[in-house]
Amino acid sequence: MTYAGSVLFASGTKTRMQDIKDTAEGKESRIIQKKYDSSVAHYLTPYSRQWNNPVIRFFTLKVQWQVDTSMLSSVAEIAMHPAYQQIIGMGPIAIPLILSELKRKSGHWYWALKSIAGEDPVMPEHRGNLKKMAEAWLKWGKEQGYV
Amino acid sequence: MSKESIEVYFRNLSRSGYSITSPATPEYNCIAWAAGNAELWWEPDPQFLYYWPPQIERRYTLEAYKRTYEVLGYKICDNSVLEIGFEKIVLYINEYGRPTHAARQLISGRWTSKLGSLEDIEHNTLEGLSGSHPAYGIVAVILKRPIKNS
Repeated sequence: MTYAGSVLFASGTKTRMQDIKDTAEGKESRIIQKKYDSSVAHYLTPYSRQWNNPVIRFFTLKVQWQVDTSMLSSVAEIAMHPAYQQIIGMGPIAIPLILSELKRKSGHWYWALKSIAGEDPVMPEHRGNLKKMAEAWLKWGKEQGYV
Repeated sequence: MSKESIEVYFRNLSRSGYSITSPATPEYNCIAWAAGNAELWWEPDPQFLYYWPPQIERRYTLEAYKRTYEVLGYKICDNSVLEIGFEKIVLYINEYGRPTHAARQLISGRWTSKLGSLEDIEHNTLEGLSGSHPAYGIVAVILKRPIKNS
């Protein structure tokens, strides 16, 4: 069914439904669909089992961490967030996930990388330059077989 | 990040007035931005991951942060009122006395701030970013220096 170009008569006012293109799906039905998908996923794969999946765990922690720390100007504080500490606690299994994230988008992953890897491939003159830092870590990751 | 999200972190901002002036980026922070640098993240972190002026003590103290701007020609002053021919910077601290933020005054009298890894904003008042965590606490130090070519 399509409502494209349909006209809504409400309270005697003619309003063109420009926001509806080729589907009848509205905001409410998208929310219901999302909740339904989430319930099905939860039923089929209990949260405890999802948590054992390092990829799901990493991305769940990453979202928590980013929401709570994006306004902070100190990486020392940013890195002390419990979710970030849990990512560090995942150990080397988190390195390829962090590097793939770093390849996709700039971010403050260097504290975690240095803590897990126990080394820092960034040249001293590139400290604080996030583009150069990412390049150095991605090169390191390639050399170590993580990327 | 939307304005709504920024206003959740900084509850005084919508009341005092502000505008977003850049896209969000983690490439630089407020300390660098106040110093006029939009390429580096400045921080005296103990892991030596980030840039910090080499002549300044690498500690999270108000004194070290103040010195960072003093070496750029700023001197302590006693008010944040716009003065023709001068540019001003303020440092915020949290309840533990730890520096949390720096903002720079524009020639319009408004203030420019980089919000962590979020956007740059221009805000009308310093109170806009004040408040308890996740806001930046209180203004502890005001510095000024003559504007070059003025």
